[in-house]
Amino acid sequence: MKNARAMIEQLRKGGKPVVGCFPLYPPLELMHSMGLLPVVLWGLRDSVSDTRDADRHVQPYACSVARQLAQFVIADGPGLLDGLFFYNACDTLRNLPELLREGIAGSRRITPPMFRVHVPMKEDGASGYLANEIANLIKALQASYGVSFSEERFARSVSLYERARRLCRRLEDAVAEGVLTFAGFSAALASANFLAVEDQIALLESTLSDCEGSITQPSATRVIASGILPPPPVICDLIELAGLRVAGNDIASMHRSYAFSPEAWGNVRDYYVAFYRDHFPCTTLLHTADRRVDAVVDIVSSRHADAFVFVGEKFCEYEYFELPYLEQQLKKSGVPVLSIEVSIDDDGSAETFRTRIDAFAELLSGREGRHDA
Amino acid sequence: MTREKTRAGKHLSELLMNAYMGIHGRAAEGAFVVWGAIIVPPEIFRGFENVVLCVPESHAALCAGKGVGSEECLKAEALGYSMDLCSYARIDIGSLSDGYQDSPTFGLPRPDLLVSDNNNCSLLVKWFDVHRREMGVPHFILDVPFCYGPQQEKDLAYILSQFRDLIAMVESMTGETFDEGRFREAAHHTAEGVRQWKRFMSFARHRPSGLTVFDSFVQMAPLFTSRGTPEFAEHYKLLADEVAERVAAGVFPVPNEKYRLLWDNIAPWHQLRKMSERLAELGANIVAAPYTSCIGSLEGSFAPFDLDKDTDPLWHLARSQNHSVCPMGMDLRLAALGSAIEEVGIDGVVFASNRSCKVFSVMQMDEQRLIGEKYGLPTVMIDVDHADVRKFSEQSAYLRLEALLENIEAGRVG
Ligand code: SF4
Ligand code: SF4
Repeated sequence: MKNARAMIEQLRKGGKPVVGCFPLYPPLELMHSMGLLPVVLWGLRDSVSDTRDADRHVQPYACSVARQLAQFVIADGPGLLDGLFFYNACDTLRNLPELLREGIAGSRRITPPMFRVHVPMKEDGASGYLANEIANLIKALQASYGVSFSEERFARSVSLYERARRLCRRLEDAVAEGVLTFAGFSAALASANFLAVEDQIALLESTLSDCEGSITQPSATRVIASGILPPPPVICDLIELAGLRVAGNDIASMHRSYAFSPEAWGNVRDYYVAFYRDHFPCTTLLHTADRRVDAVVDIVSSRHADAFVFVGEKFCEYEYFELPYLEQQLKKSGVPVLSIEVSIDDDGSAETFRTRIDAFAELLSGREGRHDA
Repeated sequence: MTREKTRAGKHLSELLMNAYMGIHGRAAEGAFVVWGAIIVPPEIFRGFENVVLCVPESHAALCAGKGVGSEECLKAEALGYSMDLCSYARIDIGSLSDGYQDSPTFGLPRPDLLVSDNNNCSLLVKWFDVHRREMGVPHFILDVPFCYGPQQEKDLAYILSQFRDLIAMVESMTGETFDEGRFREAAHHTAEGVRQWKRFMSFARHRPSGLTVFDSFVQMAPLFTSRGTPEFAEHYKLLADEVAERVAAGVFPVPNEKYRLLWDNIAPWHQLRKMSERLAELGANIVAAPYTSCIGSLEGSFAPFDLDKDTDPLWHLARSQNHSVCPMGMDLRLAALGSAIEEVGIDGVVFASNRSCKVFSVMQMDEQRLIGEKYGLPTVMIDVDHADVRKFSEQSAYLRLEALLENIEAGRVG
């Protein structure tokens, strides 16, 4: 994958405004339908060699997602991004906008316009509030970029994004079947994130067609990977080298993002009410907590997985608050859990993780009734 | 005031003892027990005769203040909770895990309903979810939009509608009808107590200050156990009167006050006595903190936001839901810090970087720079954890505090 900076530069050549969206689940369809190019600012590990600018503004105990986002926006935002979008995705992210403004102002550049909605963290009684937030966002985008909104164009964008999500689900199947590596799948998705949705579809389709006819990898013990971002490539390689196959995932930038799209909706406001309310459960969507364990257990069983590998983002309280319960429930159903933590300070070497992953794989290989595939 | 027990200090102990005993007693008699997050308005529950409210964060602060914070954290860590999580949460989860064996209040009675909010932080919701799963009780989430500027009308209306939903939920769970009269009365008791609190805090303007921030930290406890009662208002009147008398009589907590400091963060509960004594020996007094001065104000302000007799108390509570620093963007925090600096008269600012409370701390680097630039004040950043002493390096903190005082002194000489 080219790095994010190069990909966004490429994207800008089309002449449409590029909006950098804070993770995790921004209203991409809406922005696309209004002639904007939204990109989600995560998976920036390869695009920022260090976080020296961010470190002057963000405390070191913010997660790497936030620090890399801050570095990227402070260093490159004004030249690359025509706007920034954020919502109350998490406590750390909600504290960033003014820090980015300060970081950018420090080098006498102008902060791109910022757009914001508050996504209700409730199942009931908030649809009117969210509908109003979406209506306000549309007005703000219109005013900033001179673009317009139409329900028809929105419906077309929704179907494009749904197609992209469907392709992601098929690629996940391909990984489960052993015709695509998990590292390859993650890399394709990381690249797709910095493309217009039409090009995402083309990339995902070609990745899928490359899989057809591929030789199925030798049988492996099936695991589900979980976390905010896919494990760094070095960990993906170790997992596969240890004879484990990522047969499914519960990763925020992957399955949690592409598993669900609302089916029946009347207009843009209905769509987003359903999008956030019924979203695939995520630790950051507070109202989905009730559904999360069942959803994860369901992935484990539908993918015939033998184990669960949690790759925790250091300092992500959302993930770490749910981990003990999730772990307990999975273990109760006989699913062993390996929990490893990644942080911005990891030196990128395999050795830190190799022993634990190998020991886990060994433990699994000694168990009866595995679902090798 | 932390050195010898004052009248208000003795009264505080009695008030807290009675409050916790009262909660346990009423729960034992069958009252409906709510566990609420710190900013959830207790007055709403006072609108019901047979409902009692407990505040786990306050219980956690008490545990930390009594020196058992780290022990309780360890219990939570043994259950798999990461050491990076907020120490209040770890204390609460840890102390519940062994039936509150080390709790100074015999713990909290088992809840019938959990009410969290995400205005201070969303992790409160995750934390209360831990209890929901463990105890199988409903969990109401009060969803409060974050403020980058003054609270907006649409957000106020949204908060108000959720207050009404909460009332309806308690009504349906208890079978009791919300008593508007009881609620109004409670809101006015609170308003009177908060007026007295502001009066107490105003003695920080006096030189030397009539109080230390440590007094105000300790004296916050009734805000979480007794709001909405006549005792609450009486307590703060007693406190403000006593400080007024002492000031009039020339009795000050740091009589040789040479350095007036501002503290930016939650109280370091495990350090209150030690830190106040060490600073006092150096002629330094931390006289204010947004953490305590925000009480009774609106977001970004230091001024009282009073409840008058014609205002709907529910509206008033909704309007003040963003007051508590964490639900504010940096511009608002700077405005609040700035008014404290100007009104109280501050020589230096201590930014307590608290990795256990990221929401309070993540933006402090810019706050420190901007406050330094705007007010020309020396500032310092020290590492603390509000409730887990294992994550506090005493030596490094005091070295930095001493360096701050030297800086202030150097500025004076120059
Ligand atoms: S990893 Fe966690 S803390 Fe970091 S940005 Fe994502 S949700 Fe927020
Ligand atoms: S993280 Fe901070 S605001 Fe949240 S519960 Fe802990 S101390 Fe309170």
